[in-house]
Amino acid sequence: MNRRKLVSTVLGGVFLIAGAIGILESGAADVFLEATRPDFQKIPLGVLGIQNNGGPEWLGGRLEEVLKKDLKRSLVFELMDLPSLGIKVRDVGNGAGNGPKAVFKQAAENGVSVLVWGKAGLKEGEKDADVNMEGFVYDSGSDEVVGGKRYVGSPSVVRLMAHRFADELVFRYTGEPGIARTKIAYVSAQGAARELFVMDYDGYDARQLTADGFLNLMPRWSPDRRFLVFTAYRDRNTQDIDMIELATGKRWTLVSFGGLNITPALSPDGNFLAFASSHEGNSEIYRLDTRTKALQRLTVNPAGELSPSWSPTGRELAFVSDRGGGPQVFLMSADGSNVRRLTFEGDYNAAPAWSPRGNWIAYVCRTTRKEYKLCVISPDGQKRMQLTTGGGVDDSPSWSPDGRHLVFSSTADGKSHIYMIDADGKDLERLTFDGTHNSAPTWSPAS
Amino acid sequence: MTNNYMTNYERGEAGMGTRSLSMMMALLASVALAGMPGCSKKSVQSGGDTQSSQQSTAKSGSMDSARSGVGSFPDTSMQSGGSGLRGLDKNPAEERIGSGSGSEMGGLGGPGSGTMLAKADPSGASKRQLEEMRAEAAASAAAGLRDVFFGYDSWTISEEGRQALARDAEWMKANTGAAVKVEGHCDERGTSAYNLVLGEKRAKAVRNYLVELGVSANRLSVVSYGKERPFCNEHAESCYQQNRRGHLVVKSGK
Repeated sequence: MNRRKLVSTVLGGVFLIAGAIGILESGAADVFLEATRPDFQKIPLGVLGIQNNGGPEWLGGRLEEVLKKDLKRSLVFELMDLPSLGIKVRDVGNGAGNGPKAVFKQAAENGVSVLVWGKAGLKEGEKDADVNMEGFVYDSGSDEVVGGKRYVGSPSVVRLMAHRFADELVFRYTGEPGIARTKIAYVSAQGAARELFVMDYDGYDARQLTADGFLNLMPRWSPDRRFLVFTAYRDRNTQDIDMIELATGKRWTLVSFGGLNITPALSPDGNFLAFASSHEGNSEIYRLDTRTKALQRLTVNPAGELSPSWSPTGRELAFVSDRGGGPQVFLMSADGSNVRRLTFEGDYNAAPAWSPRGNWIAYVCRTTRKEYKLCVISPDGQKRMQLTTGGGVDDSPSWSPDGRHLVFSSTADGKSHIYMIDADGKDLERLTFDGTHNSAPTWSPAS
Repeated sequence: MTNNYMTNYERGEAGMGTRSLSMMMALLASVALAGMPGCSKKSVQSGGDTQSSQQSTAKSGSMDSARSGVGSFPDTSMQSGGSGLRGLDKNPAEERIGSGSGSEMGGLGGPGSGTMLAKADPSGASKRQLEEMRAEAAASAAAGLRDVFFGYDSWTISEEGRQALARDAEWMKANTGAAVKVEGHCDERGTSAYNLVLGEKRAKAVRNYLVELGVSANRLSVVSYGKERPFCNEHAESCYQQNRRGHLVVKSGK
């Protein structure tokens, strides 16, 4: 045990060194890596406010609130409290002239690197209902207003304007697209039925996608975000793997063997569907080439195999097998070779989700107190962490595309609802409040 | 580079030296980068998605007959490229944000700009399923079929379960026209996915025992509902034991 602990400490140190080497070697793209390093310094950012300029009374406040929450969740920025720094939130217009200059100087002297503000109002000359938003960004590094954005749309897309502006800021400072415009698909009970829903990543604007009146389970996104693949029950008696196009609601049946057809997952390039099926006896993992329709069986074992999760390269799969008793997480190459067990602590480990950065696999771990909680483990098995604690059953972890958050379901508050948590176990946030049962969340890729 | 990563990865044991570890981690880090969305070489910008999906549907349709159980469906290959973000601009052009305008997303209307989402259409499906379920429940109650209950994590049929199934088998032998569906159910503990496997094990255990008692296998079907159709919803053992069951249903129609 001591030796193992020592190794994991060394490994942690080595990872930092390796990260630094990576940055030296491959240049600009490495800002990706930087923001997940434990010593990553968040960028101090202040939001001066979104001034309401003739729009609905709630407009500026709503935009500001959504923007601030997005920037905080990005984990790229440290939101600075401007009034406590003695900086007055006031109109700085478009940043031109000498008045704003004094504010910028004061902010920079108080350690604020980036200042953001804007104004919002009615769009003149067009449809009555349209509103617009202008956002501005001052950067103390270059000591100038580096630019802004202008958005227009109906009042129903105000949150999306703020989300988009937040993602532009993340993009500017990290090169990543941001997660504020991502979606979460999930299962919600409608009476005794379970239907597919999609909501914004922050839990707003939920929309129902299916209305079968029976069970639709475990959705997963296509990499281009156009489709969901999921398990449906044809006439309640047999399971299919179906696909639904979000824009049209059009549905296809991909797989309809006898027996279980569960836990579908499209490969990162969209060319393969991995899933579990029991049509040849017990549940095994298969890989379907979505272009040629060629089917390959990946596992051969009298135990149950399920829940394939692709590595971000598409070269490996994590999956669950109950060979040896309880379910455990295993890894294998995408052709079914090189199978090895990953989890050894505890007698129940399931529902693996490979992080989009490749460095962690999240899963559901049963603790010694028989609680089902979230754990993460590195693909080499050397580092392991339990992320959630307490009562209730946690299930179905799914990573944000930036690898900094997980979404999952939990019965911690009684009924099953959907929660978000940072990859280090901090900032637990509940996303759903309506309904009797919300589960199986799956985070869309970034756009 | 990637092959190096694989072999280093396999050798990534506790005993290896710091130097090779650091090399391994550097490689691992660069592989993680190569796998980032947006770096994929498959990212091809595409516009008129409707047409291309129709074409691919037609293409795949011709291969469909080759394998039963695999349907025809549109191309799922990565099609949209770019983030849809335009960067900050000192004199920014106005961008219209709208549900379904899709112009910023290469016509795909992805989650970037207000996702186009189809409205769910109930079209009577819910009602039909409810009516059929009621009919099945009534037929099953009239037949007096008994369910089998299981222990935590278990799919072993208890003595009590065997007695229940002996009665069920008698009924099936006396009613030779009836087909029975065995539903496997689980309690709320554990993952949704693994409970579907566990539910199938329970349903199959029930079916196999009925076959042992002389019921023809082709009159029995199995389906697992995992923990998705519970008989009760309390977080207590008294409820859990109700939900760990093989539920026998007289099938209507097919």
